[in-house]
Amino acid sequence: ESILRPGSVPSCLVVPVRTKRKFSVPEWARELSPEEKEKRLKFSEPIFPDERVERTFYLACTGDIIDPYVPPEGDARLTSLSKDGLKQKMEKLKQTAASQLALRKIKDHDSEFSTKTFPEKAQEIFIEAHNSLANFNKQKLHSLVTERCYPEMVRGNRYKTIRWSFVESLEPPRVVHVRCDSIVNRGNLYGQVTVRMHTRQILAIYDRFGRLMYGGEQLPKDVLEYVVFERHLVNPYGTWRMHGKIVPAWAPPKEPIIK
Amino acid sequence: WLASSSLFPLSCIHTRASLQKIGKWEKKNRVVYPPQLPGEPRRPAEIYHCRREIKYSKDKMWYLAKLVKGMSIDEALAQLEFNDKKGAKVIREVLLEAQELAVRKHNVEFKSNLHIAESLTGRGRYVKRIRYHGKGMFGIMKISRCHYFVKLVEGPPPPPEPPRTGFDQAKEYVQQLRNRTLVHTL
Repeated sequence: ESILRPGSVPSCLVVPVRTKRKFSVPEWARELSPEEKEKRLKFSEPIFPDERVERTFYLACTGDIIDPYVPPEGDARLTSLSKDGLKQKMEKLKQTAASQLALRKIKDHDSEFSTKTFPEKAQEIFIEAHNSLANFNKQKLHSLVTERCYPEMVRGNRYKTIRWSFVESLEPPRVVHVRCDSIVNRGNLYGQVTVRMHTRQILAIYDRFGRLMYGGEQLPKDVLEYVVFERHLVNPYGTWRMHGKIVPAWAPPKEPIIK
Repeated sequence: WLASSSLFPLSCIHTRASLQKIGKWEKKNRVVYPPQLPGEPRRPAEIYHCRREIKYSKDKMWYLAKLVKGMSIDEALAQLEFNDKKGAKVIREVLLEAQELAVRKHNVEFKSNLHIAESLTGRGRYVKRIRYHGKGMFGIMKISRCHYFVKLVEGPPPPPEPPRTGFDQAKEYVQQLRNRTLVHTL
């Protein structure tokens, strides 16, 4: 205590020399073996091992695309040459057994689903999702895009300005692939539908300082995309949301040119 | 209806245990400018970086900060590499980190195209300890720490200002004499 009040200390103060303490840890400080711990706990009330604090979490989307659709090679490039051939191929694909089964299961749960009206709705969802990404409207984006797709869309974009606009659709969107699967429990159904879209879009990304990074405001680009939409079928309030995009093996994403 | 988490949570779920107070210098990196029109000159990128609680005196660090200020980044790194002070090593690491950040996150094209616009030191948290002298005497020593702040700007370093000559001073004096007017008269 005298050390802490330096003003009142006399000029000749003798501080006791501290000796080095050897290995002696008192009983209350050292670790007890399990038997000793049990002896200690005898008097305290026993904790029931059944009490486990459970944190429930809710799965609103699957983690990955189930059975990804393999688009035929040269899909967008050969349409002008052999229209009929490709159309037949597309119809054949639709008729594959798995897709039909999945389609029937989806129609059981959601009677309004139809392969003819769905692509338009899908395109609307697609456009709205990208618009809310450009405006950073997080709540709307969460309602239009599943949790698996959201970080893919948003990563790295917090300090960038994105301008996106949809010019026109070159071909009408088409349902190409349907799958239905349950995860964790049997009967927890999620339906995934792949829609093929051939559109023209404008994308311009500006970095933190307002400088143009990718794309351009006046450059429309033709884009062929296979977008997967998902819905939690068992939930009566579920909505169709964008789940991800399929990148075909014959068209890998090219390195973007940074300006 | 809100989903709390999915099977593969890629983004972190925010808990209460985040870092205490994010400093003002770090927040300067979060400013987002609106997109520039195509006719405007390209805005140079500014990167703010700092290191907190360096075990060095802020006065001694100031000499190194003053040395580095206004140089291009390559020159600064070279000078600090062969400087004998302890703070030189620390500042060199900070500059390398800042360069790396600039290239990766802030869309800087060439890593040598940066120069140091501002370099400052600040006082960190001081801690008092006892220093034992002979004959049972003691003193209270203060362990000083400092912060170091750096602002890198894209582009070549600005040319140094020419020193003020006697001729400039004479010119200014004559100009002051010429600026005099008569007030409240015809």
